[in-house]
Amino acid sequence: MALLARRASILALLVLLALALPSPASAKVANEYDLKAAFLFHFAQFVEWPAEAMPNKSTPLTIGILGGDPFGKTLDAMVANEAVRGHKLVVRRFREVGEADSCQILFISPSEDARLGVILSHLKGRSILTVGEGKGFALRSGIVGFVLSDRRLRLAVNLAAANASRLTISSKLLRQSEIVGPAGLPE
Amino acid sequence: MSPIRTAAASVLVALLLLAPLPAASQTDPAPPTKALKELSLEELFDLEVTSVSKKPEAISKIAAAVHVVTADDIHRMGVLSIPEALRYIPGVEVARINSRDYAITARGFNGTAANKLLVLMDGRSVYTPLYSGVFWDVQDAFLEDVEQIEVVRGPGATVWGANAVNGVVNIISKSAANTQGLLVTGGGGNRERGFGGVRYGGALGSQAFFRVYAKDFDRGPSLFPNGQEAGDAARMHQGGFRADWTPSTADGITVQGDLYGSSTDHRNADPTVLSGGNALAHWTRQFSEHANLQVQAYYDRTKRDIPSTFGETLDSYDLTANHRFTPFARHDVMWGLGYRLTSDDVRNSASLAFLPRRLDQRLYTGFVQDEVTLAANRLYLTFGSKVEHNSYTGWEYQPGARVAWTPTPGQTIWGAVSRAVRAPSRIDRDLFAPGQPPYFLVGDSTFESEVLIAYELGYKGQLAKDLSTSISTFYNVYHKLRSLELGLPAHLANQAHGRTYGAEAELACQVARRWRLSAGYTYLRLLMDVDATSTDTSQEKQEGDSPRNQVFARSALDLPHGLSLDAGVRFVDKLPDQQISATTVCDAQLGWQATKTIEASVVGQGLFDSRHPEFGTPAGRREIGRSIYGKASWRF
Repeated sequence: MALLARRASILALLVLLALALPSPASAKVANEYDLKAAFLFHFAQFVEWPAEAMPNKSTPLTIGILGGDPFGKTLDAMVANEAVRGHKLVVRRFREVGEADSCQILFISPSEDARLGVILSHLKGRSILTVGEGKGFALRSGIVGFVLSDRRLRLAVNLAAANASRLTISSKLLRQSEIVGPAGLPE
Repeated sequence: MSPIRTAAASVLVALLLLAPLPAASQTDPAPPTKALKELSLEELFDLEVTSVSKKPEAISKIAAAVHVVTADDIHRMGVLSIPEALRYIPGVEVARINSRDYAITARGFNGTAANKLLVLMDGRSVYTPLYSGVFWDVQDAFLEDVEQIEVVRGPGATVWGANAVNGVVNIISKSAANTQGLLVTGGGGNRERGFGGVRYGGALGSQAFFRVYAKDFDRGPSLFPNGQEAGDAARMHQGGFRADWTPSTADGITVQGDLYGSSTDHRNADPTVLSGGNALAHWTRQFSEHANLQVQAYYDRTKRDIPSTFGETLDSYDLTANHRFTPFARHDVMWGLGYRLTSDDVRNSASLAFLPRRLDQRLYTGFVQDEVTLAANRLYLTFGSKVEHNSYTGWEYQPGARVAWTPTPGQTIWGAVSRAVRAPSRIDRDLFAPGQPPYFLVGDSTFESEVLIAYELGYKGQLAKDLSTSISTFYNVYHKLRSLELGLPAHLANQAHGRTYGAEAELACQVARRWRLSAGYTYLRLLMDVDATSTDTSQEKQEGDSPRNQVFARSALDLPHGLSLDAGVRFVDKLPDQQISATTVCDAQLGWQATKTIEASVVGQGLFDSRHPEFGTPAGRREIGRSIYGKASWRF
């Protein structure tokens, strides 16, 4: 019993240590993929596509997910009943990159890492904002890579790849991003 | 109060005590989905990421008992070695023997020379043909560069081959593109007397990246049961590199290598000296989205010198090729071929001999596996077999079949039947003790492979948005297990058999935005027996070398001001064969992200007791003292 009491007291101490600190106030927090979903939603507003990517107003702006879906219902909830510059936002899920040609934004799931090279080469030059995980994604000619740094989400943007896809990324988005140049080195 | 109830009670106390916390942190509810999208870009960039989510898994991983230790887990636990990172995994037994050695297994049969777990580091097998196990004292990595450790319980034999009997541990390092820049880390404490490491990653042109690292540690001794130091202090230096090159979009080339040197002190003898190195090259060619070819070659040398007892130099050369393609719609086929040459050269002593002293062994492997989509996103069948030819027993086949059924998104029920073998190791065949006749113990020159037929059934489910669970059950039937036959000399034979069954359950819950709880429970029974003709009396003891119950709970809490608090409590049931009573151990880390580039932490391991034993009989065992260390790292 004494042993139990001692163990309990150590735990209590740990908890007190946690509680003694001021209550969280400063930084707000979010789940990793909820936050990434919000970024995908915002990309629709801060990226401009060439006119032929969405020829008329009835063409939706499609956010695609290629491979295993980490977002669950979050992304669908976020884009429901939303439109950007008159284009309705829709979410679609794909298993094959060949099905994803009509997307405007394509999140390439980490489940597809093994074949990322082929996927990116298939999408090369198409006006699709490719989004993936890690700086390595942008270095490998993806356009936007999510990077976790100091517990915050940052973007690694390959501008050369964006230009080749005729996408214009707003300076508001670029301001907080690391530009990964064609030489693969930060500019 | 019995130890088990004490432990259960402390876990309960821990959970109850921690429970009021979410209420306390409700002053800061995380924005719901709706609110999240209303935020401005600046606000989004300012949000803190709380839980780093699990990455989506491939189907073959879903239909198995898989646990992934992420880079975030390793960081949050503050561990300094690979074995310590394997605690808090259901179904896995991690018992520290002394300052450096561990007994590690999955689903039973633990021992100082446990032989049913396959361990791979970036595709390089680190298992020794000496006893089919792993010398954990020389398996190290720059832990900040580890992407994840994937632990598959149950036979992985169909794809991985010999020795993946009870499980596979796959340690995967990050791509060099994702470890750019300079990282300096170091610290010290009462047991971990000093450790440090440096890594630098850079670019070689636009499509190639590299990193180099060096690390070092000086670890204090373990303790005798009376608390005296056991004199087994150890140190290790290790360095290495990795380069990743994508010459075209279809090709990926990785080259990597490590070199190490190490020594472990002994009280009344010269130190054990360990050294080694490896070099590995891996090439992937992507033909289409579903077709690729992977070719991998490596060389590994490991040397071990235990003065006046034993010495070994082992060279391994390994070449494998895997090809994946889709011959028909709905069929995802993978097949491969492999060749491994191991050249083992031992130095025998008066107490122990392996004869022949020098032995070259060739292992030829081939496998084919088909993943059939019976109903897209609902029902998958994976079946295949590995066939191999080894120098001791010739041909061995290891077939298996798995079914994964996903009745509703987020829930999977899976089942599997597999056959796996443990091919003989040198200890089974070539052992003689003492080093000269008359011998009192000899290996069996006709020792055959141990055979397992495994039946598994599991469930994985996302019960709610923030609550996930996984339950795995198994029934394993073993034949031709190693037995120790009495006589003069005593000899090894295949005259034991047994059954094991058990269940592993895991629950992970995002209690609040800043607080994650996980818990695991492992139940295991071993029922060992010997053939009628056997004189072995040790098998029943083996039942008492693995804990019947294991429970753990972990809490990961983010605090303001860049602070984080992680705590884990683990209960390990008694080991009757070793007269080790049930123990409850607590580990904790308090971390502080001081600035964007500087980070510090204090880690405590084994906090409940000043010392506790984890493995070994009373006569020879060492105990593990409470360990406290501080650690700091700087990124640039």
